[in-house]
Amino acid sequence: MSRPFMAVMVIIAVFFLLFSCSKDEEGAEGSSGGGRKQAQADGKDSKRDGKENRYSIYKDSPPVDGDWLIYNLSAEPGTLNPILATDAYESTVNGGNVYETLVKRDNKTLEIVPLLAESWDISQDKLSYTFHLRKDVKWHDGAPFTARDVLFSFEKIFDPKIDSAHLKNYLKDIKKVEALDDYTVRFTYSKLYFLALEVCGGMPIVPQHVFKIGDFNSNPANRKPIGTGPYKFIRWATGEEIVLGRNEDYWGEKPHIMRVVFRIITDSTVALQVLKRGELDRMGLTPIQWEKQTGSDSFNEEFNKLGYFTPNYRFIGWNIKKPFFSEARVRRAMTHLLNRRLILQKILYDLGEVVTNPFYINSPEYDKAIKPYLYDPEKAKSLLEEAGWVDTDGDGLRDKDGVKFEFEFLLPNNSETGEKVATILKEELDSVGINMKIRKTEWAVFVQRLQQRKFEAVTLAWSMGVESDPYQIWHSSQAEQGSNFVGFENKRADELIDEARGEFDRSKRIELYREFAEIVHAEQPYTFLFCGKATVAVSRRFQDVVVYPLGLDPLEWFVQKPLQRYGTALVH
Amino acid sequence: MRTYILKRLLLLLPTLFGITLITFFIIQLAPGSPVQGKLGLEEGVRAEEITKEIMEQTKKLYGLDKPIHVRYGIWVKQIVTLDFGNSFKDHRPVIDKIAERLPVTMTLSVISIFLTYMISIPIGIFAAVKRGTVTDRAMTFVLFVLYSVPSFWMAIVLIYFLGGGDHFDVFPIYGLHSQGAESFPFFKRALDFLWHIALPVFCLTYADLAALSRFQRGSLLEVLRADFVRTAIAKGLSGRVVLLKHALRNSLISIVTILASILPAMIGGSVIIESIFSIPGLGKLGFESILSRDYPVIMAISTISAFLTLIGILVSDIIYVLIDPRISFEGRV
Repeated sequence: MSRPFMAVMVIIAVFFLLFSCSKDEEGAEGSSGGGRKQAQADGKDSKRDGKENRYSIYKDSPPVDGDWLIYNLSAEPGTLNPILATDAYESTVNGGNVYETLVKRDNKTLEIVPLLAESWDISQDKLSYTFHLRKDVKWHDGAPFTARDVLFSFEKIFDPKIDSAHLKNYLKDIKKVEALDDYTVRFTYSKLYFLALEVCGGMPIVPQHVFKIGDFNSNPANRKPIGTGPYKFIRWATGEEIVLGRNEDYWGEKPHIMRVVFRIITDSTVALQVLKRGELDRMGLTPIQWEKQTGSDSFNEEFNKLGYFTPNYRFIGWNIKKPFFSEARVRRAMTHLLNRRLILQKILYDLGEVVTNPFYINSPEYDKAIKPYLYDPEKAKSLLEEAGWVDTDGDGLRDKDGVKFEFEFLLPNNSETGEKVATILKEELDSVGINMKIRKTEWAVFVQRLQQRKFEAVTLAWSMGVESDPYQIWHSSQAEQGSNFVGFENKRADELIDEARGEFDRSKRIELYREFAEIVHAEQPYTFLFCGKATVAVSRRFQDVVVYPLGLDPLEWFVQKPLQRYGTALVH
Repeated sequence: MRTYILKRLLLLLPTLFGITLITFFIIQLAPGSPVQGKLGLEEGVRAEEITKEIMEQTKKLYGLDKPIHVRYGIWVKQIVTLDFGNSFKDHRPVIDKIAERLPVTMTLSVISIFLTYMISIPIGIFAAVKRGTVTDRAMTFVLFVLYSVPSFWMAIVLIYFLGGGDHFDVFPIYGLHSQGAESFPFFKRALDFLWHIALPVFCLTYADLAALSRFQRGSLLEVLRADFVRTAIAKGLSGRVVLLKHALRNSLISIVTILASILPAMIGGSVIIESIFSIPGLGKLGFESILSRDYPVIMAISTISAFLTLIGILVSDIIYVLIDPRISFEGRV
């Protein structure tokens, strides 16, 4: 091969590497969720906020109707039936737009407030919840919404012929549902649970008169939903877009935006380009897009970059049943070996916060008093030695009782963040005489391995509710086969979890959880990494864009007449 | 000849049966299960009594409670009536889901295959005639560079520089239609569609140019060395006639072998290109169903492409006989 030819090949190879790296960042989650009111608090963005531009002059004008809001979806929902859906895309489209639930969480206070239910009573024994439904609610086809629809939805969820496995599991503590009259419905639980109101009040409700005809699983309305919400379904072009239009007969306060369009754009690089062309109004940004690809003045003149914390955290789980990680000292040593601040800075561009316990960082349950273990390889080494992991045979690897410290680190193959964390950890471990192999598997295989406990260490992110119950992940009863796959068993922790489940006083629950968090911190069954920030770009032509703890609420947004792009027409 | 074709068609059935049998077992025995996917991670790794019961119910719903050989029997019974079953993901008939995506994928692949042949055969001829010259080498070089550039990289570069935003706004970069294309007049709509598929078709085409044109160049060179060509030149025919009338026709015979792979390729689609350009095609459908273990969809797609591959092989064998009198079916099979 001649020399110039080689040179060209090298250049191509380098280009290839550069581009493939930047493309890879798209793994991060761009979901919407919650965080403090901090629209203006996000670094780079703030300096531009004082500046006048063609959008800010309309700041204080009263809301008007009109215009569309165009989102991107990175994949198509499987169905638009909330009872059958298993992906997040269904709730992005339907949630609060087409279908509604009995109660919801208030944007500002995060308290549970009425939606389709006007009010509710909780029995003395805290086992039955009686909801009084609004009488003025109509389905989009004009039929009235009644307690029969609630009852029907509940019966369908528990019908063995209906493909609703995850809801069956989620609602399984509800013993029965009765319609006391047309507008009163009562849920009865089989056991005490502090989240009971949120669970039954959040049950998806579908219209009986539509779904009782024909097969539920393949009902045409699964692709043409009929709900009670502020937006009606208009069109679903497979693989292209889903379009919703304002419900002119909505029972509540009507939104100002006339149409909501969800464009299906699978590649995040392409989506960003489409956003820059002005064909999208709102998009979740990946960390690298936030940091490196959306910094130009022209971009920031057109778009607001908003960040907020959703309830989620990433962690490394250590399989306590394996000899390597059976001791808390070793697990603490692992945490000391990981420079979490640096990782956060380098991988997530500081779009997140290091966490120390499994609660939502913006909720009072999260214990801010617990300080993260600092990066300290020397401390880690001494902890390992204390635990008996020393290199006795001089091969450069620590060992104990004839077992070499060599383990496999499991992660799903599309987790970019996980892979970077693993690589950094591997290097640190190498320098202290521990050999770690990185093992990537496809998601379906990954889940199976967790289920069968066939792993030594694993990285993953949990997302949860505003208030969450540690039972599933931390209770020892879940260690054999449940979500407690690291095998964490602690008697005191069990007691605290059990007590909190039946404790309806939040401040008392918080106390219990504080103690629980301290145990988890000392035991380190997980090395908690960080709570990633959701990062979104929204076109500046929208007014009243407020960043609530749980994210954005487009039902409040509006666009001033001169800035409207698509006018007020419902149908084009 | 008729008996030969008949025999081949009869042989096709057991072959297809064997292929589906193996595919069916491999897919179902692969780790991971559709039920787990439905439950999600948090619920999927739980195993309380009630969760187990729900999992059993869901298995029963999908017909996964029966032993695997019984399931295969049921599948075969359905397939002879051309019923591919319902997708686990959304309970729609698999055939509907495929029918929705097939035209998209076929259009893209037919256009790109057509372009590949239309461009690479002339290049091959040209390179064979100019063998060893600087032009030949330069062309080979360029084609091989294109061949080595991965299509997803090319796609991203094209999108970045030609897709608006910070650079030139020449091509649309996702989907197949503009907003509101339904209301365009026919001609404008067709143009809009072509405009949308320009980048994806380019990305599907350029890499294959190298292989096919080299192939054509090689086979033409071989024919040009043959005795009958020397004879033709010796008896005074012009170089042009020798090349286009005698040599070229004979050199195309070997291209026909490749035809066999075209049929399945037409519906295969490209996962990467379809994903980057957000094109709702079969490649993406197949890939997504593998990830979510949507057995009926996976089986349908693999059965259809197995069938097309077998048909493709048969067709190319028949075309062989038709265009090359030296080959005959007498005494075969």
